[in-house]
Amino acid sequence: MRTSLPSTFSRKAVLAALCCAFAIAPLRANQSTGAATPKESFRTVQDETGRSVRVPIPVRRVVSLAPSLTESIYALGMEDLLVGDTEYCDYPPDAMKKHRVGGAINPSLEEIAALKPDVVLVIKSLNRPETVQQLDRLGIAAYAADPHTIDEIRSSVRRLAEVLGNAAAGETLDASLLQQETALQKKLQNVAPKRVLFIVWTDPLISVGKHTFIADALQHAGAVSVVESSQDWPQMSLEEMVRLQPEFLVFASGHSEAVSRDVDTLAERPGWSDLDAVKHRRFAVISDAVNRPAPRLFSAVADLARQLHPEAFTEKSETSKIVALTVKNE
Amino acid sequence: MKPLTLSRLFLQCTILGAILFCVMVLALKFGAIHVSLYGLGRDLLRVFLGQSKQISSEYSLIVLNIRLPRILLAVFVGASLSIAGTSFQALLRNPLADPYVLGVSSGAAVGSILALLVEPHLALAPEIAAVFTPLGGFLGAVVAITAVYFLGRREGRIDSNTLLLGGVITASLLSALIALLLTALPSSNFRGMTYWLMGELSAVPSRPLAWVLRVGFLIAAAVIYMTASDLNLLLSGEKEAMHLGVDVRRVRIVVYVAASALTGLAVAMSGSIGYVGLLVPHVMRMIFGSDHRILIPASAFGGAIALVIADTLARTIAAPSELPVGAITAIAGAPLFIYLLRRRLA
Repeated sequence: MRTSLPSTFSRKAVLAALCCAFAIAPLRANQSTGAATPKESFRTVQDETGRSVRVPIPVRRVVSLAPSLTESIYALGMEDLLVGDTEYCDYPPDAMKKHRVGGAINPSLEEIAALKPDVVLVIKSLNRPETVQQLDRLGIAAYAADPHTIDEIRSSVRRLAEVLGNAAAGETLDASLLQQETALQKKLQNVAPKRVLFIVWTDPLISVGKHTFIADALQHAGAVSVVESSQDWPQMSLEEMVRLQPEFLVFASGHSEAVSRDVDTLAERPGWSDLDAVKHRRFAVISDAVNRPAPRLFSAVADLARQLHPEAFTEKSETSKIVALTVKNE
Repeated sequence: MKPLTLSRLFLQCTILGAILFCVMVLALKFGAIHVSLYGLGRDLLRVFLGQSKQISSEYSLIVLNIRLPRILLAVFVGASLSIAGTSFQALLRNPLADPYVLGVSSGAAVGSILALLVEPHLALAPEIAAVFTPLGGFLGAVVAITAVYFLGRREGRIDSNTLLLGGVITASLLSALIALLLTALPSSNFRGMTYWLMGELSAVPSRPLAWVLRVGFLIAAAVIYMTASDLNLLLSGEKEAMHLGVDVRRVRIVVYVAASALTGLAVAMSGSIGYVGLLVPHVMRMIFGSDHRILIPASAFGGAIALVIADTLARTIAAPSELPVGAITAIAGAPLFIYLLRRRLA
């Protein structure tokens, strides 16, 4: 076989192929145009990860790539700007009628581009950095939110409203959330925090680390997580939990009956049955809104506090209402 | 078999190139957003005539700036993995060899993840930071293939079976290492990483990185192609090749490094896309025979065609969500491979 060709065969073929490759190469050079249509005026804002984002004035079309951001937009009353969201955006139910651009992790870039958004909203804790890079490459503005605590949710929502061109809506929402929060803390000021185990998953047992906003939400509800991990979603050993004996188990769920059944099942399992909280059916159910850093979290926290500290929500309620009113009048 | 001539090589490559072109045009048409074939043809013609300004901006954004770069990435990754697979199969004279079986892909994945973990702590210039992950992938691939190479040596000679076993063990060790490394990543990166590990093509490289990939690919592919005649002789055995004047040692090192480079670049860009490097060379060998002077370019085209089709499916099956293309290649590839294996045995 080798003799049928001159020995320079391979070299010639490679040379020819290289020539072809470089002949095609310039094709890519003249296609960097496109992207957003020219608008009258722009301004540059900083997002919460420190990136500079160029947004038009006014913002007319917004795509949200995270359920929490979709909720925030509705809470701000700015849902008319929302032209697209993800398949996970299910609250409020009206959000499910918006145009879906795919999942939060794997959205379709072309669906996003076809909606011609002025700005795409992402959240650092959920969306992928690659998604933001691809949007940048296409010249589509991507604004990233990055709240880590309850307080940051308020400032984050306020900042979002300002970026979208309605700072007043942000201030109103911020004030009302602060009012809820102040009223709650007033009630909880004299109670000792309950030691709780927040259960993300039972098999294997996954809880939350100290740097998550869920850990912060627990503190605001008058609870403290027995888990002190610096990982966000640590897998915990049941032995360690039996040693720590949390006073309450906290589940995130939309259905408290289902949780009640789950605890019944857990009570029959070795290890779990050694937990006092399981033995005495001491568990609380927080709305699954706790998984989303959005305004709805505030009422979820208040709801959890009511379950953990029922005594704080009886006689003092009148005084705290007055406090709430004074805050509102400021 | 008819002897291979330059004109026959070009004819066959042109046919494969034409098929690839048609597949690419179809891939440009299909996607979450509907694009008509007529509009696509008109716009492509305008691009070729250099009148890209006349294309409507929406078409230009979706077809040229979103779909085309991704399709080109699929072409690059598919061709890289197939060439690497062909080379490993020839060097080891074992049809089961491919970047995944040999642990090269896992090595590249570990390298890429380490680069991602380390990168924020080094104050790198943006130009270097952009190519840092592929560099990590390449180094990981080279380290893995070197380790496997030494594991596979017996009494100073390479034993193909020992080497394959060494590869399998290295791959499983490295997968365990990947699982450990992933727990060290912050949760936002973690989600993306697990997706990336399944193999996906959504991260189109930035411009400087695209040049690194293009030049790296061309050099590595050219280097491997230069050894095509030697690889043919190696098929009859190392000793025989040596007697025929092949510098076996040199060929082996050159091809190992070049094939690792191809794998490293591909894995850094797209994660673990399995079966392309294993299956495509087999199919091409059935069609074109085992002369590497035609087999290597045929595998490159074949890999590109296979991956563009797989990625188009990944983009459209669950639209608007996108599936990892690695899942598609595995679902299609595993049964096909078993079929080919059974047919060969029969």
